[in-house]
Amino acid sequence: MHDIRELNHDCVQGLIDRQLPDGGWPFSSHTTQSAIEPTALALLALPSSSVRERNAAIRFLLHMQNANGSWPAFSGDDAGGSGLTGLVLSALNRCCAQGMTTNRAIQWLTESRGWESHWLWKWKFRTSDRHVHFDPDKFGWPWMPETVSWVVPTAYSLLALKHARATSRQGLVQLRISRGVEMLYDRICPKGGWNAGNGVVYGFRLAPHADATALVLLSLLSEPPNDFITASFNWLEQRAETCFAPWSLAWTILALDAFERPTALLIDRLSSIVDPRNVNDCATLAVVSLAFCCAAGSNPFRVAHET
Amino acid sequence: MKLDRRTFLTASLGLAAGASTTALLNRPRYHVSRKVPRSRVAILTAESYSHNLENVLYSGLELFHLDLRGKTVLLKPNLVDYIPGNHINTHPLLVAAAVDCFRRLGAKNVLVGEGPGHQRDTELVLLESGFREELRQLKVPFVDLNRDELVMTPLLATYTGMKRLWLPRTVLEADFVVSMPKVKTHHWSGVTLSMKNMFGVVPGAKYGWPKNILHWKGIQESILDVCATVPVHFVIADAIVAMEGNGPLNGNPRPLNQIILADDPVAADATCARLMGLDATRITHIRIGAQFLGNASIERIDQVAKVVCAPANPFEMVPEFEHLRVTGSARPDS
Repeated sequence: MHDIRELNHDCVQGLIDRQLPDGGWPFSSHTTQSAIEPTALALLALPSSSVRERNAAIRFLLHMQNANGSWPAFSGDDAGGSGLTGLVLSALNRCCAQGMTTNRAIQWLTESRGWESHWLWKWKFRTSDRHVHFDPDKFGWPWMPETVSWVVPTAYSLLALKHARATSRQGLVQLRISRGVEMLYDRICPKGGWNAGNGVVYGFRLAPHADATALVLLSLLSEPPNDFITASFNWLEQRAETCFAPWSLAWTILALDAFERPTALLIDRLSSIVDPRNVNDCATLAVVSLAFCCAAGSNPFRVAHET
Repeated sequence: MKLDRRTFLTASLGLAAGASTTALLNRPRYHVSRKVPRSRVAILTAESYSHNLENVLYSGLELFHLDLRGKTVLLKPNLVDYIPGNHINTHPLLVAAAVDCFRRLGAKNVLVGEGPGHQRDTELVLLESGFREELRQLKVPFVDLNRDELVMTPLLATYTGMKRLWLPRTVLEADFVVSMPKVKTHHWSGVTLSMKNMFGVVPGAKYGWPKNILHWKGIQESILDVCATVPVHFVIADAIVAMEGNGPLNGNPRPLNQIILADDPVAADATCARLMGLDATRITHIRIGAQFLGNASIERIDQVAKVVCAPANPFEMVPEFEHLRVTGSARPDS
């Protein structure tokens, strides 16, 4: 068995080594363009002892916030906002960043919505475009403006809004949380689990994906137990048995751990397949580090729920 | 049939929208022309996926007299997701054979790059589809185009109305881009061949999973804009086992036992369509692509190996694209 603490130390060191001068992280360690998703995940993964690196990451993220309160997808991106805004807000909330930044982000999240919520597109999806089974009344968040809701940005947004309930826009926040949760249940794959957001297309059942399923389950942590959640856990646990890809396996561990399901065997497998020095993708390295932290009883998603 | 006012109104609106879309698409909206007087296509026979593919492929590539010395070659296979038993991806053995061949032809670097549109975990697709092991054995770098460094790039055609796209630096800096599609039907676009395959260069990190903006802006229009902006220098299409019916994920395998090589993506796609028993001129992006991206007409395509032989039974299509099938005396090789 590998020493998990040592491996996690290597993951953290790998992240520190790859932090860019602007405080962000790129996806690929061969590039120098800071991206929002690896940066937010790295901020969640860095231990509190990494003060300098965490502060640089926080400064980078605060600097990157768009005027409308959202976050872009990467350094240099357009200012319209991306589906990663919820993830950044969650990461900053974990670091106790509050005030104007948080309020503007929450406002943007409450106003951003998938285009299927617009009456014209609702009409289109109800009359002529019916090959994908979904209810346009149940909408979440898109990856980028002027597109429909998808599972991952919706899960990220729910994680942020559920943690930010004590705001002046409480009613609206609650409404968006409800709509978002409804959307996730509506887009579930027929036997449980989620993929990008299409459960049934042209009458065919599409398969779920482990990473999307795990992320959705994390966003549903505070929801009452129900058949959707049970079926999705069953699918995820079964899928995990044959999963050897670090990104999907790490997300699976985070979800199972948050719901207090056993993860020791999966963490052991993750430790046997990952050599942090050879993980080129910084987002993957950060999620792997977060998964290793579960072995020591630390899971930022569970903590967010408990607080 | 009784036609009520609501149905009439809906039908009229649909007809008007369809007519205006067709009219808009037919207006030239390109600022580049890659059309050459004649294009070359080679249809090769390959009975199965095996390590013998390299010999078959190399003999086919020699027909094109490619000068790749000192060049960086990017192979862009079609990797969507992994579903056991479904032939949805370009086969890893064909990609491995292409890596070997382009190295033998003197390329300075050979890379493989793709940005799956459905599955966010690209490494999982590589592992489970067998790509990772093939790439490891060949020591060939793989670039996840969904997560590459991005460069804002003005579009050289504006059928979508978009003026620019963020595109991966690896793609923009490659000297020679090879589109390696799996020959398939597609329930949104009719077919997914070498031109549609280029959706994979549009990065998920910016545009999401799936790359929904391309659907909202129009799939046919997006194909044209992307292919105008990112030149496809060569095509190696995997039709050893193709897919028919409800592609790109849930169709049925359709063995054609062929590999299609071409120095022109439009000629490649028009030929593949004919091999599928489809009318290439009814596929919008092929028809309009033939105005500025290459040749679709049989008269302008030199078949340097086998001639096109359309199947007795055209590929099964979802109902929306049933009209693409050619039957009876209108067979494309007739």
